[in-house]
Amino acid sequence: MKAPKKEELLRLQKKYKTDRKIAQAIGVPQYLVKYWRRKKRIDNFSETKYTEEKIRDLWERYGNDRDAGAELSISPSAFYKWRKKHNIKDKPKVLKMAQLELSFAQSSSSGSLTIAQKILARKAGKSKVEVGEIVEVEPDVVMSHDNAGLVIKQFKNIGVSKVWNPNKIVIPLDHRAPAESEKTANAHHQIRLFVKDQKIKNFYDINEGICHQVMVEKAHILPGELALGTDSHTTSYGCIGALSTGIGATEMAGIWALGKLWLKVPESIKIVFLGRLPLGVYAKDVILLVIKNLTSEGASYKSVEFYGEVVSEMSVSERFTLSNLSMEMGAKFAIVPFDKVTKRFLRNSSKRSYQPVWADKIAGYENEYEFNISKLAPQIACPHSVDNVKDVEELGDVKIDQVVLGSCTNGRLDDLEIAARILKGKRIHPDTRMLVLPCSKAVYLEALKKGIIRIFLESDCVVLNPGCGPCLGAHEGILAEGERCLATTNRNFKGRMGSSQSEVYLASPATAAATALKGKIADPRDFLKKIWRG
Amino acid sequence: MILKGRIWKLKDNIDTDLIYPGKYLPIIDAEEMALHALEGLDKEFPGKIKKGDIIVAGKNFGCGSSREQAATSLKSAGIACVVAKSFSRIFFRNAINQGLALVQSEKAHEFAEEGEQITIDFDIGELILNDKKLNFAPLPDFIAEILKSGGLIPYIKKKLKQK
Repeated sequence: MKAPKKEELLRLQKKYKTDRKIAQAIGVPQYLVKYWRRKKRIDNFSETKYTEEKIRDLWERYGNDRDAGAELSISPSAFYKWRKKHNIKDKPKVLKMAQLELSFAQSSSSGSLTIAQKILARKAGKSKVEVGEIVEVEPDVVMSHDNAGLVIKQFKNIGVSKVWNPNKIVIPLDHRAPAESEKTANAHHQIRLFVKDQKIKNFYDINEGICHQVMVEKAHILPGELALGTDSHTTSYGCIGALSTGIGATEMAGIWALGKLWLKVPESIKIVFLGRLPLGVYAKDVILLVIKNLTSEGASYKSVEFYGEVVSEMSVSERFTLSNLSMEMGAKFAIVPFDKVTKRFLRNSSKRSYQPVWADKIAGYENEYEFNISKLAPQIACPHSVDNVKDVEELGDVKIDQVVLGSCTNGRLDDLEIAARILKGKRIHPDTRMLVLPCSKAVYLEALKKGIIRIFLESDCVVLNPGCGPCLGAHEGILAEGERCLATTNRNFKGRMGSSQSEVYLASPATAAATALKGKIADPRDFLKKIWRG
Repeated sequence: MILKGRIWKLKDNIDTDLIYPGKYLPIIDAEEMALHALEGLDKEFPGKIKKGDIIVAGKNFGCGSSREQAATSLKSAGIACVVAKSFSRIFFRNAINQGLALVQSEKAHEFAEEGEQITIDFDIGELILNDKKLNFAPLPDFIAEILKSGGLIPYIKKKLKQK
C-alpha cells in the first residue's frame, strides 16, 4: 500500500489517535503506520497533546484523575499516565474548583457585580463595567443560520475581502431546511460557496439541526463566554452560564468585517423559584408563568438570572427552555449560573477549557422576583401574545387542528420522551394532526434508539426532519384560515404559523401530547396520573 | 434635521410578524421587502404608505424576531421615522443600522391623530403634534452618527476610509 499524504495521516491521527487504531481502520499493520509517521515527521499523537501546564492546571482544579480526565475526555488512567509523565504527584492543597464553588456558595467576595457585568468586563478588557456603560467587545463566537445569506450580502457591501476570524463563525442551516423555495435554495447555495471560500469550518448543512441546539450540543459556546447570533433566541446559551443575545444581519456583517460590536451593559433582574415542580408541570410552564407576570416587555433590555432549588435540579435541556423563552419578555441575556449540572453536561462535549462566572452575592439587581411553583398548573399562552397566559383549567373546549412538538424551545430528548410516554399505545384524535420535529440529528438518533420515534409514528404523528419549519410559518405545516394550533414553540403572534386568521397556543410537550389525543386543549395531569398508577 | 410627515397611529406590541411576516424572509432585495411592510397588520397597508410618512406607536414596538427586514421594509417603503413609547432591543439596533430614524416618546401616542401632521426636530429634540410640543432625549452621539451616515454599512465604509 502506498503511503498516505501527510495531511491524510494527520486527519487519521486526529480521528483515531493511536497507530494501532489507524492501522485497524485502514487495514495495514501497525508498524507501517509508525514508519509512515516517522518518515513524515509526525509525532505520536498523544505526545504533543497536553502540556505540563495544562495537566497541572486540571490537577489543581479537580485533584482527582476521574474529574480531571473527564475535562479532557480521557479515562482516569490516561490522565494518571499524563501526570506521571509530567511528574505531577502531590495532591493539590487547595482545589481551584472547590475554591470557585466555595466562593460562590459563601460569596466571600465583597463585590456587587452581576454575571452580565462580569462577562462584559472580561470581554472589554476592563476590571469593572457599570450598568448603562457602552462597551466595545469581541465576541467569542457568532452564529447565523439561513439568514447568513443576508449577512453575506451586507458583508460584500462593506467591501472587506476576508472575515475577521473564520473559526469564530458558526453557520447551521435550519430555518428553511431543506429549501422550500427557489429563493431559499439560492441563499443556501450562496452560503455554501461563501463558507468554502472563507474557510469557515463550522458550517452545518441542513442535516444537523436547529442552530441554538447545535451551538450548545457541539460546545461552540461555553460558560463565561459571549456569543452573538442573528436570531432572537440566541439568549438560549444562558442555559450553560454563557452570555448570548440576538442582533440583526447588517450588524453581523459588521462583526464579520471588524470583529467588534457595541453593547450597553444592562440592568439585571433576579428571578428565584421556590418550591418543587408538581406532576405534569415543566420548565415551559414555569417560564410562561414568569412571562405572564412580567409581561412581554418586562425584561426588555435586561439580563435575567435564574435561581432556586428547582433550577439547580433542572437539566441543561430544561434550563435551555428558560433561557430561550426569556426572549419573549424582551430579555437581552437570560442566564442559569454554572453549577455541577452544567459541568457534567459539558464533560462529554467540551474540548476547550472555560472559566465560569458567578454573580456576587450582593450583586446590584434592579429587581428581584420570587415565584412559588409548588401549586402551579400547566400553563397555556393564548393568542396572540406570549404573555397572554392562562392555567389549562381556565380554558374551555378549544378544538385544535394541529399540534406541533419541537423547536429550540422544546424539541430535545426529554421533551420527546414525555410526549411519547403519554402517547404510547394510543392514537391521536382523528381530526387533529401532530407534527414532531426532534431539534437536532443527535436528538433524533437518540430518540430512534430509545424507540420513541416508533411510538410517534404508531400514534399517527408525522415525524419531520430537525429544523424550524412550522414554528415561523416557513414551511412544513402552515396553518389555514380559521385553524388552531397548539405548539411547544416560542411565539404565537398573529399569523406566525400561517394564515393571519389562524391561532397559535403555546404549551409544554406533555400538554401537547394530551391535546393531540383529545383533539382539544387538554390537561396532561389526567394522563400522567393514569400512567403513574399503571 | 427636521422631519415632517403624515401619521400612522399603531397600538402597543407591534411585533415583527405583523411588520414583516415570516414567509417573506427569503427576499433579500430591499425594494421587494417594501411591498410587504406591515402586511401582517393589514394586507392593504404597504400600498397606503407614502414616502415621508411617520409611525407613532405604543410600547414595545418591533418585539419578537431579530429579522432586520422589519426595519428595512419600513425604511424602503418610505417610512421616515418611527415614534414609539418604547422599542424592542433588537428592532432598535436594526433600525439604526438600516438608517431608519427612531424617537422614543412616552406622550406622543396620546396626542397623535392618524392622518394628521407631525413635525420632528432632531437638532433640539422636539416634536410637534397639533401645536402640542413634546421634548425627547437625543440619541448618544455615536449612534446618531450611524444614523446620519445612512446606516451601519455606510458608517463602517466611512470609518475604514478614514483609516
